[in-house]
Amino acid sequence: MKLNRKLSRRNLLIGGLQAASLVVLSGCEKMFDSLSQNKNVQSLLELAENGSRRAQRLLTRRNKLAKEFEAKDISPKFRANGNPPPITMDYTTDAQNHWTRWRLEVSGLVKQPASFSLADLQAMPSRTQITRHDCVEGWSVIGKWKGVRLEEIINRVQPATDARYVVFRCMDTDSDGVNYFESIDMIDAVHPQTILAYELNDRPLPIDNGAPLRLRVENQLGYKHAKYIRALEFVSSLDKIGQGKGGYWEDQGYEWYAGI
Amino acid sequence: MAERPAKSPIAGHLVYRHNRITRLTHWISGLALIILFMSGLQIFNAHPYLYWGSTSDPDKAFLSIAASQDDGDVRGFVDLYGRKIDTTGFLGVQQGVFGPFARAFPSWLTVPGYYSLAAGRRWHFFFGWLFAISGVVYLIYNLAVGHIRKFLFTLRDAKSVPAMTAYYLHIRKTSPQQGEYNPLQKMAYTGVFVILAPLILLSGMAMSPQLNIAFHWLPALFGGRQSARTVHFILAFGFLFFVLGHVLMVLTQGFLNNMRSMTSGWYNEKVPVVIESTAQASPPEAAAVSSKQEAEKINEAES
Repeated sequence: MKLNRKLSRRNLLIGGLQAASLVVLSGCEKMFDSLSQNKNVQSLLELAENGSRRAQRLLTRRNKLAKEFEAKDISPKFRANGNPPPITMDYTTDAQNHWTRWRLEVSGLVKQPASFSLADLQAMPSRTQITRHDCVEGWSVIGKWKGVRLEEIINRVQPATDARYVVFRCMDTDSDGVNYFESIDMIDAVHPQTILAYELNDRPLPIDNGAPLRLRVENQLGYKHAKYIRALEFVSSLDKIGQGKGGYWEDQGYEWYAGI
Repeated sequence: MAERPAKSPIAGHLVYRHNRITRLTHWISGLALIILFMSGLQIFNAHPYLYWGSTSDPDKAFLSIAASQDDGDVRGFVDLYGRKIDTTGFLGVQQGVFGPFARAFPSWLTVPGYYSLAAGRRWHFFFGWLFAISGVVYLIYNLAVGHIRKFLFTLRDAKSVPAMTAYYLHIRKTSPQQGEYNPLQKMAYTGVFVILAPLILLSGMAMSPQLNIAFHWLPALFGGRQSARTVHFILAFGFLFFVLGHVLMVLTQGFLNNMRSMTSGWYNEKVPVVIESTAQASPPEAAAVSSKQEAEKINEAES
């Protein structure tokens, strides 16, 4: 009898503690969930993004290069992520025809709007770099890229003085039909390693990795590296691009500055 | 000058142990650590694998937390160097409204509870800044006023570690403690300030692509970016164990007294003589000793 009562009292105590911790924990979870969706809290947390961008840029000498690896470091497979490749007829037939119809349209706040074929881009001076690609999810792969420096394009189209960002318009869409897009500012756009890549590991850019043209912006995470690019647009503000945050993932809560 | 509260009726004497900056940064970094740990697990959940080196070749993960399905039964596993540990009910799989789903760390351990890498990152970086800033403020101030040396672990302290451990384990009756902090406390705090905190900040920064450009040595220090990520993960658990140990000690070694010292600054320090021989100690003598020490301590703290 006594033992039983003791046991049941102990059980009661343990049960009570469990229940209490469950209440506390689920209370905490609910609190953090609602704080995560609270606009004021979020704009407070967003202060860190600007702080990170300013501090990190202050610490980085302009035009300093990201580490370039050796051929032996190249990952066996360059992992692809994000939306599936475009499946439109135009895209697939053009892919089979070595991108004879595809053109890169450059417009917006530029003195010389232009349009380039893949052959045009390949005829320009190129840059080759073996760099590490870091996904926001946490993984990293190393690949060898060849492409034309974005500054090369910038020199040709001559952006107006009020052009502050380059917006990348892409051909891939999500399941709701929203097109991918991204943006970087002029500081990153003219970085020596910021290239529009058309080759990966000495072969034409594979469809999974963004054929025919993708961005490499080595100071930022993978989601900034727009794939399946069809157009560049120079703008003074990101307010009217997409939902105003400057990118597909940015519109879903990710930071515009992805250097961290 | 801090005001002196009325003398406590408990045997011992009040010392002004924690200055304002220490108290403030203690609570800020405590809150930050909780949120950093939980939002860090949220971020980890986006890719619940760990590697050594620069890259993350899928078959080279030494640790993974995943769910696998056999015969319709979804089970959670932790795979450590090829050794599979069934963790159903805690890690790898979680029960949801629509049945079990794969999730490395469960909702109740992450911030936010629902899956959101974007939100997890926002929490993490904001409180990362807060943690780093409060740590720097703490260090600068306390180096300046000389508080740090009170708990800086030295070779002499190392010698009394076994004795202090024996004392905590009730094997030894007298505490070898000299000064405000005992050797094990000094070891724990020095470890946190000299090893854990700097390394967790550096390994976190070693994951930033921009900082990798600014400081090529940063990821190299850890043996590559993925190694830095792994080190960051391990150190987070180092902090967890420190915090759990810290809270346990606070709870068992005079909860109210400790809470008072970390809120108002005043700690009731018992004189060793009083603890050792409760029956024989003559109160007036103890009080005389204590008030002298007390005066010294207050002068020191406020100078």
